Parts: sequence; C-alpha cells; structure tokens
Amino acid sequence: MVNKYLPKNLKEALQTLSEHDCYIMAGGTDLMVVKHRSSGLLPTFDKDVIYIMGLEELNFIKKVGENIVIGATTNYSDILKSPIVPQLLKDIVIEIASPSLRNMATLVGNIGNASPAGDALVGLYLYDTLIELTSVRGKRVMPISEFIYGVRRIRREKDELITSVIIPQQHFTNTKWKKVGSRKAETISKITFAGSCTIDQGIIKDIRLVFGSVGITVVRRPELEARYIGLTVEQLQSKTDEILLEYGKFILPISDQRSTKDYRFKVAMNIARDFLSHIE
Amino acid sequence: MAKIKFVVNNQPYEVDVDPSARLLDVLRDELHLIGVKEGCGEGSCGACTVLVNGVSYSSCLTPIANIIGKEILTIDGFNKTEQYRIIADAFAELGGSQCGFCTPGMIMSTYALFLENPDPTEEEARLSLSGNLCRCTGYNSIIKAVLEAAKEGRKRGIKW
Repeated sequence: MVNKYLPKNLKEALQTLSEHDCYIMAGGTDLMVVKHRSSGLLPTFDKDVIYIMGLEELNFIKKVGENIVIGATTNYSDILKSPIVPQLLKDIVIEIASPSLRNMATLVGNIGNASPAGDALVGLYLYDTLIELTSVRGKRVMPISEFIYGVRRIRREKDELITSVIIPQQHFTNTKWKKVGSRKAETISKITFAGSCTIDQGIIKDIRLVFGSVGITVVRRPELEARYIGLTVEQLQSKTDEILLEYGKFILPISDQRSTKDYRFKVAMNIARDFLSHIE
Repeated sequence: MAKIKFVVNNQPYEVDVDPSARLLDVLRDELHLIGVKEGCGEGSCGACTVLVNGVSYSSCLTPIANIIGKEILTIDGFNKTEQYRIIADAFAELGGSQCGFCTPGMIMSTYALFLENPDPTEEEARLSLSGNLCRCTGYNSIIKAVLEAAKEGRKRGIKW
C-alpha cells in the first residue's frame, strides 16, 4: 500500500519528503504516462506519491539580479507568456508537446524526468542553468550539467524538492534552435540542437553548442567551446570540419523506435554545420 | 483516498477518490460525462481535451489532485451554449466531423483558441489544434470550420 500526499504548502511538502520516499507529481504529463495501466484503472505506483501542483508559492517567474528564476510549478504556457524569458527558450518551449500539455507540464518536471530527449534541457544547458534544491535541511544549488548524470538519473536526495531553476541572463548575437521529430506537435525528438554565439567586431567572444537525444544526457562540451573563443568568424568557419570531428566523439546516439543511430549522428552534424556556417 | 472538490460544467462536485485517478476516468465513470473521449490515453491525440479554468487540458494525463478547486468545462456542458452551436454547425457544414470520435476534443480546443484569440489566422488555428489528431478528415476541413466559426462569431458579435 502506498500513501498519497497532498501538501498545502512548501513547508508541509518538505516535511513529507523528509519522512517518506516519494514520486513527485507535478503536471503529470510524464508520470501519468509511465504509470498508466488502462482506462478506468488507477496508475500503479510502487512507492508513495506527493502532488505538488497545488503549491502556488512555487508558481512564479521572476528576475533576481541578472538571473531569471522559474518556480517548480510554473507551466510552459506561462513561460511562453512571460516578457522576461529569453526568446531562445521560448522558441524551444513552443515546440514542446501541444497547447494542452503546455498548460499542464512544468519546466522543472522536464528536469526531474531527465530524459535524454527532454527538449527544454537543451536550452537550460545552453544557459548554464542552476538547479535549486530545497529540503528541511536547507537549500543547495547545482549546475544542470552536474545535476543530471544519466538517463532519468538526477542528483536529488530523497528529501529534496527541485524548487526552482536559475537562468543567468545572456545576450547572444547569434542563436539557433532546431528540433527534428516525426510530427510538428506532440513529438518526442529524434535530435535537437541549440547553438549560440556572441561576436564582437568579428571575434568570437562566446560560443555554445548543445545537442539533445544523442546520448545518455544532453551533450555540451565547454572545453571544446573554450578553444574557439578569440577566433575570428572566418577562422572558426574554416575549422568547421575539425570542430565537427571533435564533437562527433561525443555524439553517441542509439537506434530506437523513433530513429536510427546513423540518421541521428548525420543530422546532428549537419545541423551543427548549418549553425556554424550562418554565424556572422 | 482523498475528498476532492471541483466544479464541472458550473456544478460543484466532491468526490472521494485516489488523487492519482485520471480526470478523464472521474468525468466518465463517476460523473457519467461521456462526451469526453479516450483515444490514445497518453496525451498524444487530444480526444480527451477539456477546459480547466479556461485553458485546454488533456484529461487522460491529469491526476485529479491537480484540479482541486478548479473549474472544468467539458463538451457535455459546453454543448448547451450558443458558442458551441456556432462551432458545431461550422464543423457539420464543412465536413469537419466524420466518424466524430475526435470532434469533442477538436471543439474544446477550438473554444480554447477563441477564448485567447477570436480572430485566428489559418496558421494560428493549425497550431492551436496541433495536439488533436483526426484519422478521417485530413484536417483541412477542420481548419476551414474553425475559421468559419470565428467569422460567424464576429458576425454575431459573440463574446467567446
């Protein structure tokens, strides 16, 4: 017998999590699929469940200093409506699922779910997003690239709740977002790519390449990015083959029902090439 | 089990259910509102679309815990309104409904669109219905019906 908890506020939720190992249910758009049996039957859970969508105190998008902070129960539709969320993130969110699922699903849920095909994650990696975890013991903050360490594997302790994400504001001069799927909406990605670049007087000041659905986690390689900073746009573009060869070592997709390994690799490389060739 | 209160089609309800029960099952099995359809059961087809506080939800993926204190509108309640009549007539006249299974979801998504945007372009209409699958019509007649309903609404001065 598993227990179900409906906390009235964050304090109560954290108290419950400190005492019980729970599935955390936010919008339900992942868990309700994974745990679904058939019509009329309850989803099956093998441990307790805590429902957090009622926690209004976590439903916010606010600017704190140079950061944009988004709470755990904020859904995608609210992110699309927000005047302070960067356009690149909105371009990603508008291609996630469908209008009805965007009214239900949360950005933080996409992090907790930690699927290698989580579209929002690609944008969050690009922005060096920090994850805020809260428990009765206190708060801690961790970069998303450390927080997610495998397929559906996250460094959340059992008593912790992801309470918000902290997105440092950036001003890029070039951005690209590309999602490849089999349908315009409601499609789980075959490959995703987000790229950004900041050019000042023809010199690369900052460059970020992020790939989704091509490995066990989102792929971003800061040590490669660092090599290209300081180059001129022409120098960068003349190195395209070399850059793709380097990234290719980390693009390790699988074949599954959505796509094949070879297709994913080839298309990921082509999108990255397109991004590099259009930097100006 | 938990006692959960919400409003459906302007009527208050209190049900004693597991908080993970799907809104779809509560609507169909407890409240007998069988206009809400189950297609895929995994959020991909939109047949189960209802409005929750004025925006569309896929009721097959909504745990009942998430609608505590909220107002739900299903096709079974919406079909008593003039707004419904305008949309349904446009679907009927322009061949937007064939087997009819997707139609309740299509109509609820159309209404959700009009609440936000009573004068959509074709592209906006297609995006708004992008979560609703239809295996009969090929969509063009549905989109025509949506645009026609919007036009009719403007002609009649309807407040969506």
